[in-house]
Amino acid sequence: MSSPAFDALLPFIIIAVELHGYIQWNNLCPDYGALASAKVLLDGGKMSGRVTRNGNFSIPDVPPGTYVLSVLSHDYSFDHVRIDVSPSEPLPEVRPYIFGTPLLTTTSFSLPYPIMLTPRHKNRYFSPRESFNLLGMFQSPMMMIMALTGVMMLAMPYIMKQLDPETLDGLKGQGKIASIEKSIQSGDPRGLSALLSAGEETKASTPVAKSNTGPSTLQQRKGGKGNKRR
Amino acid sequence: MRCLRQLFLVSLAVTAWALHESDVGVVDWNTKLIGVPLHGSPHTAPKFYGDYVLTATSNNVLAALNATDGSIVWRSIYDAEDPIMAFSQHDDSVSSLSGPGGSTLRTYDLQTGHLILEKQLHSQVDGRLHEPQNLGISLLRSTDSSNSTAYFALTNGDSVTRINEAGETLWTWNSPDQASLVLYSHIIMDPSTVYVVGLAKSFASYTLHVTTLLATTGEVIASVNIPANIIGGPSNFVAVSSPTGSATTVCVNWLEDGALKAAVLTPDLKGQVMALPGVKYDRIGDFGLSTNGQFLAIKKGGAAHVMHFDAHASSLRPIWEFGDAAPSQAQSDSHFVGGLSQDGQPRVARVYWSNAHNQAIHQTLHINLSEGKASASGFAFPFQTLDHGVIQHVAFDSASSGETHENTRTLLTTTTGSIQLWQHDKMQWVREEALASIQVAEFVELPEKKVTTPHAAVDEEGYFERLQRQLSDAKNLPQYLANFARRFATGSYATVTASAASSSDEDALTRDAFGFRQIIVAATPYGKIFGIDSSNGRVLWSRVLGLGWAAKVGGIIIPTKMFVTRTVSDPEGPQIVLVTQRRADNSLVDTVLFHVNALTGDDVREENPSLPRVALQGLDAIMGPLVDVFVLPNENRTIVMLDEYLQARLYPDTPSAQAEFESFVPFIHLALRADVPGQRQILGHQLALNLELSQFYVAYPTWTLSLLPKEEIHAIIPNTRGPVASIGKVLGNRMTLYKYLNPHLTLVLTSSPPSSTCGIYVLDVVKGSVIYHASVPAADGVCDIQATLTENWLVYHYFDTEFSGTGQSKGYRVISVEFYEGGGPDDKTKSPELSSYSNKTLHISAYEQAFIMPHGITAISPTSTKFGVSTKDIIVANQRNSIQSIPRRLLNPRRPKHKPTSEEQEEMLVQYDAVLPDDARLVLSHNYEVANVRRIVTSPSLLESTSLIFVYGLDLFFTRISPSGTFDVLSENFNKVQLVLTVAGLGIAIMVTKPMVRRKRLRERWY
Repeated sequence: MSSPAFDALLPFIIIAVELHGYIQWNNLCPDYGALASAKVLLDGGKMSGRVTRNGNFSIPDVPPGTYVLSVLSHDYSFDHVRIDVSPSEPLPEVRPYIFGTPLLTTTSFSLPYPIMLTPRHKNRYFSPRESFNLLGMFQSPMMMIMALTGVMMLAMPYIMKQLDPETLDGLKGQGKIASIEKSIQSGDPRGLSALLSAGEETKASTPVAKSNTGPSTLQQRKGGKGNKRR
Repeated sequence: MRCLRQLFLVSLAVTAWALHESDVGVVDWNTKLIGVPLHGSPHTAPKFYGDYVLTATSNNVLAALNATDGSIVWRSIYDAEDPIMAFSQHDDSVSSLSGPGGSTLRTYDLQTGHLILEKQLHSQVDGRLHEPQNLGISLLRSTDSSNSTAYFALTNGDSVTRINEAGETLWTWNSPDQASLVLYSHIIMDPSTVYVVGLAKSFASYTLHVTTLLATTGEVIASVNIPANIIGGPSNFVAVSSPTGSATTVCVNWLEDGALKAAVLTPDLKGQVMALPGVKYDRIGDFGLSTNGQFLAIKKGGAAHVMHFDAHASSLRPIWEFGDAAPSQAQSDSHFVGGLSQDGQPRVARVYWSNAHNQAIHQTLHINLSEGKASASGFAFPFQTLDHGVIQHVAFDSASSGETHENTRTLLTTTTGSIQLWQHDKMQWVREEALASIQVAEFVELPEKKVTTPHAAVDEEGYFERLQRQLSDAKNLPQYLANFARRFATGSYATVTASAASSSDEDALTRDAFGFRQIIVAATPYGKIFGIDSSNGRVLWSRVLGLGWAAKVGGIIIPTKMFVTRTVSDPEGPQIVLVTQRRADNSLVDTVLFHVNALTGDDVREENPSLPRVALQGLDAIMGPLVDVFVLPNENRTIVMLDEYLQARLYPDTPSAQAEFESFVPFIHLALRADVPGQRQILGHQLALNLELSQFYVAYPTWTLSLLPKEEIHAIIPNTRGPVASIGKVLGNRMTLYKYLNPHLTLVLTSSPPSSTCGIYVLDVVKGSVIYHASVPAADGVCDIQATLTENWLVYHYFDTEFSGTGQSKGYRVISVEFYEGGGPDDKTKSPELSSYSNKTLHISAYEQAFIMPHGITAISPTSTKFGVSTKDIIVANQRNSIQSIPRRLLNPRRPKHKPTSEEQEEMLVQYDAVLPDDARLVLSHNYEVANVRRIVTSPSLLESTSLIFVYGLDLFFTRISPSGTFDVLSENFNKVQLVLTVAGLGIAIMVTKPMVRRKRLRERWY
């Protein structure tokens, strides 16, 4: 595949090989139409060859040395390959090269020649846009809490009506509901948590209702009102 | 693992800013160009083929245009060291020879531009240079009876190669005359023989040399020197061929002492030299019909003869005379171009400019060879010479010419670099290809839309007048209300992702809400300046730059620099001053200024604006070349130019500008290059007035920086300094690193061939001290460093060939360097206001980190924003023909080598990784191909977060980017519907609960 070229004009012989290779079409990049114009570079453009319609490329007149072969393609990424051209060997050696690692590693195995390059991935330039979605809006915790609060507010009088009169008395004695309603109106989240835990507390707190004083003077006053009513 | 980390890094970087598919063509635009056609040689000039126009261009592009609408069907971009020498087209393929001496053959598919074949014919270093460049290079394709195709390439002027369709070389013939006395320039073939014709040098003149080769093997049949005495040089002979049945008869024609001589060639090269007696000719030339036996001969008086070689009779005779072809006061020189009509008859088009009609004249000659008759007819077409200069080349679609001129199509290439297709007397399309070689470009802001018409005499109006005015103003109220309601309901506000183009055409030049719509003023070396709408890339105005006195001798105007001297906030409106160098053809160089209104392209210096628009007339500011030019930072934006004697000239040269300039003189420090033989120096200069020497301020040297012997200065790049928002960087441990913000920093790039290194210097121009110096290896002795210096941050890029050391690898490197004051954190020297003569200016610490990139870059620029608060990303154009941003976070030179500690995390530092991620989401130009970028111009918009980016090279590209996210506008995923629904829901809830609460309260009161 390689042909040493002799330059008769110079007194000594320069051995240069012509590198051959091809692009292995795959699902990502099925043909030349998808790849568009692409170029294979040695050492970032010192020598280069273009990829032809059937996927082949050749880089002529490569003098002995160690090179990094890369592919310039607008839309596809390819692996880098290390090429060793030595004056004694007729065929260049091809080794895998991971970009960002030291070039001269001893353990690397050889790849077949002619060089085979495979498109690794197609560039995706765009990020999807976040779209508005009504369901998603109601899935956010804030919205759920708000909806729950609304439901509770409307449903509370009916719940209270169906409650046992004794429990209701106990509750009224503490003035808890009123304070919760107040705090919901004033937007205090503590009221909300109190409301959520209200069901459990009612049972637990009934026997010790007298000793339990509310957290604020306002609640005390309300409690007092309730007592007076009775 | 590394992949994962990179992915994480990129996602960090990208979250701030991302490109959506729906933004394509809305926030950005891309103009694909091909460049101005190379019209100098018939091998590269535009040609029609069916509905295609093929051309090679000065930007080294081979392109096929759609002749119907002027769009690019395909284009192939060649490397700079691989210039296109010749192209030809056969059936459905296009072939080109490129490189020194025509070293590479490429074949493309005509319809798609797909590369079919690439073949090196000889090594690039073996290429021989001739004058003109593409002399001795020619390409033929033949299809023989067995339908196999072969290419015959004449390269280097001395070798012929036959290549088959698969790219295999069948034979190569090299001229035995290695001393290059014979330079072959024409290759003609008949089915069995290849004729190679060239000139041989003899005493004081040239003789003709012909070699015939056997087409199948390349064996030499005969090689003969035809005794001729050609004085004029290589262009004064024509080889024509004429088909005779299946064979081809070849005839070479040349001028000897004004007499036309011809020799009919046979394969064994035995024949007689004929002479056409009686008529004296001045010159002869090929005009596109040489394969049909016709060529053009111009008589001494200027009359042009169409000569015809009749192969059957072996006779040569003129068949038509264009009698009045001589250039005169009344008309310009004529362009002749020939072709074959659909029925195979020759057609000749002649195009010239008539001063009498002030129009261009098109004449078509119909030749009927079988009847021996010819007839000419013509028409005039309104070529706009004021906008497009002079016609330089004409291509003629001969297949379109019928009995009438209705469908006659011609393609014109003009001196201003435009390509125009005319069908009869109507211009079908025009491509402004001068834009492919923009020299300088600047952004100019647009004025705000005027909402109300100003009422001049508000104070003096009476009651009724005021009532009337207010009523008339109020008539817009319903419309306003409707608009408001619609806006509120649909949420259609100005958004950053909307197009900035104005929706209606009539509100001409006003900016959009965020200042994304600006005018890009771009000057080209084809003597034309363009105003481009940055919202959609349309050319709003264009003006031809007048040559002044040099119009008589000819010349070119090369733009050097452009300054925005007035902005929208000034009462005069935005204005620019273009500083150019005019090179007249008599080798005189002058510095010429053009002062232009940036919105309209009108000449500001023109006193009488009602005059019809002609070419812009420049001001000859300096009779001689320009050494340096800069603008004073005062309100008037006075331009200071240094002539070759280092005298400071001002524009505008008014007493007030002079006074202002004098007040600035002590603060002006310049770094200029000085060329002492064998030693390059950078000299620091200041200005002083010495009336004994000159009436102007003259720069005198204050310091010298001697470079190494033979070290060449490539570029002196001043610091790109926008507004600086913060003077320091607060670290995680609450200490502060103060930025080194010396206002006099300048970047110098050098190359030193003896040591094969490239130098990067950061200098203080006041006293010439070197703040930073790095020496990097030159790849193959070529220094291709891209660098940018902004505030205290230097980023440069080079190719590192060093790989033998442990852990080393070849590849592109990006180095990021930051300069901070003092020895470390909390060490403050107040560098922005520090006197340059203080010793503390050198007391700095530099942080430096290197990164590797998979592909090389061709241009680099930082983003710029209005107040400098947003982070600065680096925008690069890479070899893959795309524009990419590199986030500042990845290029931060203080990235820790270990896992970031909590303090470092607080500073948002990410762990160092040598590989800069090559992520497609950082590509700003996405699917667009933006080729051969020369410069990236960035400009702030009215939004602090957003920077405008204009990229020019072969293509033009514009986009906008928000390096820190669009923090100053509602985020694009802000949900108006959600907000409205929530507010409405709360309102309803209040309405429902309010009576309930009231009732409850009432009940409570009762009990």
